[in-house]
Amino acid sequence: MKILVIEDEKTLAESILIFLKQEGFICELADHFEKANEKIEVFDYDCILLDINLPGGSGLRLLESLKKNKKGDGVLIISARNSLEDKVQGLQLGADDYLPKPFHLPELAARIHAIIRRKNSGGQNLIQIREMSIDTLGKEVSINHQRVELTRKEYQLLLYFAYNKGRVISKHAIAEHLWGDEMESSVSFDFIYTHVKNLRKKLIQAGCGDYIQSVYGMGYKFQPT
Amino acid sequence: MKLLTRYSRINSIAAIIVLVMASILYYFILRYVLIHQLENTLNVEEAEIISFVKDHGKLPEATNYRDQHTAFEEVAEPVPREYRDFRSRDREHGETKVFRELSFPISTGSKFFRASVTKSEDEMRELVFLIVLITVIVIILLLLFLYLSNRLLLRRLWEPFYRTLENIKAFNLSNKENIQDHKTGTDEFDELNLVTGSMQKRILRDYENLKQFADNASHEMQTPLAILRSKLDLMIQEPGLNESQTRQVQAMYQALARMTKLNQSLLLLTKIENNQFSKTEIFPLDQLVREKLLQFEELAAAQGVEFETELEEIPIRMNHYLADTLLNNLIGNAVRHNKKDGRIIISLREGQFRIANTGVPEALPGEYLYQRFHKGERSEGVGLGLAIVKQICDHHALTIQYSFRSPFHEFRISIP
Repeated sequence: MKILVIEDEKTLAESILIFLKQEGFICELADHFEKANEKIEVFDYDCILLDINLPGGSGLRLLESLKKNKKGDGVLIISARNSLEDKVQGLQLGADDYLPKPFHLPELAARIHAIIRRKNSGGQNLIQIREMSIDTLGKEVSINHQRVELTRKEYQLLLYFAYNKGRVISKHAIAEHLWGDEMESSVSFDFIYTHVKNLRKKLIQAGCGDYIQSVYGMGYKFQPT
Repeated sequence: MKLLTRYSRINSIAAIIVLVMASILYYFILRYVLIHQLENTLNVEEAEIISFVKDHGKLPEATNYRDQHTAFEEVAEPVPREYRDFRSRDREHGETKVFRELSFPISTGSKFFRASVTKSEDEMRELVFLIVLITVIVIILLLLFLYLSNRLLLRRLWEPFYRTLENIKAFNLSNKENIQDHKTGTDEFDELNLVTGSMQKRILRDYENLKQFADNASHEMQTPLAILRSKLDLMIQEPGLNESQTRQVQAMYQALARMTKLNQSLLLLTKIENNQFSKTEIFPLDQLVREKLLQFEELAAAQGVEFETELEEIPIRMNHYLADTLLNNLIGNAVRHNKKDGRIIISLREGQFRIANTGVPEALPGEYLYQRFHKGERSEGVGLGLAIVKQICDHHALTIQYSFRSPFHEFRISIP
């Protein structure tokens, strides 16, 4: 899957590229407006990460020309200007999602996966991980075709893990994903522990392998071996 | 004391002093002139008597009119010529009158006489008295007139000044229309207005710059924060991190999260001040409260904190995002600063939103409550939560009040 990262901040772009490449994406980088514009015109991408403040022009203009040319690339706006207007405007112009900086890389990966899934699926909204299948449309999880009842948070957590297979996800990233940045500061990590513990228990009871590993002091890792 | 009063007072005192002194001077000058005139009459009489003696060689007969007498008195040797005043009883009316007398030497042949011409000063005195009386009346009238006209005139003259003063009092950083610029037609006031106006503009500009700076600084901070966070996310993917490294990474995550929160809060405050949330809509507040309660349910349950609610259907006009933030902060605080198995009472009725929670057993210091970066000793937040709450309330012209009635800390927001 091809990703175009449009981001002028080199070190951040580098982190994103490393993380996404590990994920198995093919990534290209455009660090200014012109270069991004060229690449967008010539190639097709599964997803474009779009920074709004670019040297040479606004990312929103790239978005406009993308939509004018009826390109089907998924677009995820990553912006330092965490403003409602930007968000609303971006989404109105046809962006698929909006992620304000600073974000956690697993969050970014999850959002990209979600966008690509929506774009390419064509009805294919099942994630199959060994004996587990996640229906992203119906928000249902089955192990060996047996439905497992999960709470909303547990489902979100599992999907997050599924989108970040084999990665260590910090507790901070999980907290932010599950509770959003407004609540994050109120949440103690005990909640995460409880949710992970319950999820794990339910999955194992349903006959699933124990794929959720706790990484000491750091967070968790979903490793379906 | 008002300038007007002070001015009137000085003015009146000066006027009285000057006028009194002028009256006294006037009195003496008038008197001097009139006496001089009287003496002239006496001199004329003297000349007539002298010329009569020269022509006839004898004294004329003494006369005695109502207010003018001539008299002769034989003396041993010539007397000096002199004027004098004396009092004498009037024979007809029995009043004491003041007379002026000119006595001069005259001789017929070998005899020396002291001739005296006397004229009553009454008329003159009456005249002086009358004139002084009229003058005093005029002075009093003048003073009265001066006082009244000053009051009226000054009030009108100073009116632009009071207008300027009102304007300065009403000056407000968020209201840019209130710049001083009205023309008065008086140079001093025009200059005053010009100076205050440009000062107001300068203040607004400085404030604008400061806001811009805070805005830019917060935005610029996002990128390095994003870099740090991404690097940490990458770092923990590396295999073989030992326990101490793990702990340090955790601490960095923690600090970063705090910094991010801080930055977002500052940005939010700046945005509210910059009126970037001016779009308001009417929506049922009770519904939003219910949504928030669902959101916080889990957090509260973990501490054994129970919600007790009494929600009436109340529509409110607010910016939706800010209303969301307001409730987040208030309910979040109520949960976070609660005690184990505590209570939270939320009521929305009779135009009031009230949220009360158990917690520390003493009242919070009211004066610092909404101050930025002021936080309780036990608080782990960044100290901007209530500042944001206050700012949101101010922005929507809602009043918020805090009270402590053991064991409840209560925030009350009145909804118009």
